[in-house]
Amino acid sequence: MSVIRLSLARLRRIGVPGVLLTIVLLVFTILVLVPFIWMIMMSFRTTGEILADPYGLPTQIRFTNYVRLIADPAIGFMRYFWNSTIVTAGALLLTILLSSLGGYGFARRRFSFPGRSRLFTVLLFALMLPPQAMYIPQFTMMTRYGLLNTRTALILLYTAYAVTISTFLLKTYFAQMPEELEESARIDGAGDLLIFRRIMLPLARPVLATVILINFKEFWNELLIALTMITRPALRTLPLAMMNFVGENASNYALAAASLVVGMSPLLIAYLFLAERFVEGITAGAVKG
Amino acid sequence: MPERMNRRLNATPIAATIILIAPVMIYYATFILYPIGATIVNSFYRMTPRAGQIIREFVGFQNFRALFSDKIFGIAVRNTLIWAVVGTSVEMVTALALAFIVFFKVPFHRFYRIAWFTPILITGVIVGVVFRWIFNYDWGLVNAFLRLIGLERLAVNWLGRPDLALGVVIFVHFWNTFGYSFILLLAGLSSVGQELIESAEIDGANRLQISRAILAPMLLPVTVTTMILAFMGKMRAFHVVWVLTNGGPMNQTETVATYVQKRAFNWSSLDLGYPSAIAVFWFVLVILGVTAINRWLQSRTENL
Repeated sequence: MSVIRLSLARLRRIGVPGVLLTIVLLVFTILVLVPFIWMIMMSFRTTGEILADPYGLPTQIRFTNYVRLIADPAIGFMRYFWNSTIVTAGALLLTILLSSLGGYGFARRRFSFPGRSRLFTVLLFALMLPPQAMYIPQFTMMTRYGLLNTRTALILLYTAYAVTISTFLLKTYFAQMPEELEESARIDGAGDLLIFRRIMLPLARPVLATVILINFKEFWNELLIALTMITRPALRTLPLAMMNFVGENASNYALAAASLVVGMSPLLIAYLFLAERFVEGITAGAVKG
Repeated sequence: MPERMNRRLNATPIAATIILIAPVMIYYATFILYPIGATIVNSFYRMTPRAGQIIREFVGFQNFRALFSDKIFGIAVRNTLIWAVVGTSVEMVTALALAFIVFFKVPFHRFYRIAWFTPILITGVIVGVVFRWIFNYDWGLVNAFLRLIGLERLAVNWLGRPDLALGVVIFVHFWNTFGYSFILLLAGLSSVGQELIESAEIDGANRLQISRAILAPMLLPVTVTTMILAFMGKMRAFHVVWVLTNGGPMNQTETVATYVQKRAFNWSSLDLGYPSAIAVFWFVLVILGVTAINRWLQSRTENL
């Protein structure tokens, strides 16, 4: 409340320029949101209605597009949703495993050895490189091991792209925790790995949530690697499926719009509940580093 | 405590250190470092798949020489550079302005923050499809709106015109990513000490003076980071172009990212050596660009 009152008081102080600024900002914000609103409205209409009146409101809330998307076996959209879920979950688990171990190892003075910080710099090197710098050999590698057209290939490669930033975030977090925590446990005779698993990892829950959120967004949205590794339609992830689906149903815009809404909904719902966490996660790497 | 004993207590536990650090580094070496090395090596070969095998033939610098006579590659580099310069500048100016506005808690600032951040959650695939519809000639929102207000003349085929398509691509990508730069800069502003601002306010400084004298210099490190990230984002952007225009019309929106993909996996010639050479040329360019931005902004810091 106090924030709102403060703003109003300020607004009154600024006067006409302030009101103009507010109008400009609101128009800008509506323009930013129009694609979302339009997409959602389209998904509740029929293609005929859309073509007749592109910016009209839905005459009635129709779920036919969504029902067809899910129930029609010829479309089988849920299969792609499932593929994306498996790939995202698998890559998240592997990323968390590797980067929490590594982050802890790089953070603590106890595990230091000559050249450790240089090794960490090597790990950060990947942040600068576009995926094109490595994805052709990754493709031949997956071909050689018979992993082309498997979800495993995507899990392995998504993890590879994610470990750098994840290890960095976990290292930063572990480094600022007091060492006394571990020392008292060590005096009680606990080994390093037990201390990591029982004390440090549970304490790192906030940063783990951050790491999960930022990687969830990346994995769920990824197209380039999926495009390269997956050619069998049944194994497509959502971005790949949506791209093909829209191409194949070029004339059924309403159905296509519903597929887009389904594809983006998990992230938007997560954002609705965890907005601050998302913001924190996305700024953590860049601002604190 | 005698120093030797102290040292023994602090000795690195070798087994634990290996268990902690080795997995991530081995993984990274296998799936990132080795492929980068392989890309560099491959760029000196011609690699053609035949009967399930890849035939390699050493060609020296031939792939790199071929780059200079490749017209489409020339267009792709030009477009990527235009995008990197124009896109990054527009995004930085807008995001800086918006971050300062929200930082001073104008009315509805909470709403703005959430609304502006939302586009970055959406995959470029969805963004590409939706904006293909928005810019559709017959029934897209843009043209429908222009006809509604009587500007029929301006309702053109946005994505089909070689002179306009790149502009549309840059605009759409801006819509998708500006929230990221905005939120980084806002976080940077919020980390400036509140006492500093308050004491300046007591001294009678207005917002413009506070922004210029206190906030702008203190925001510089975050500005550098944000600009580098925005620049890298434009240099590697793939999803939006791929879905929105697929490089067309007539390669006029081709970028290096889409061209590598086409030469590697969509081209009838099926040679993996040449796209590797493009990739090598390109990541050298990215590293040079990042270094240049860093140098330029660092030198400006020293002058302050």
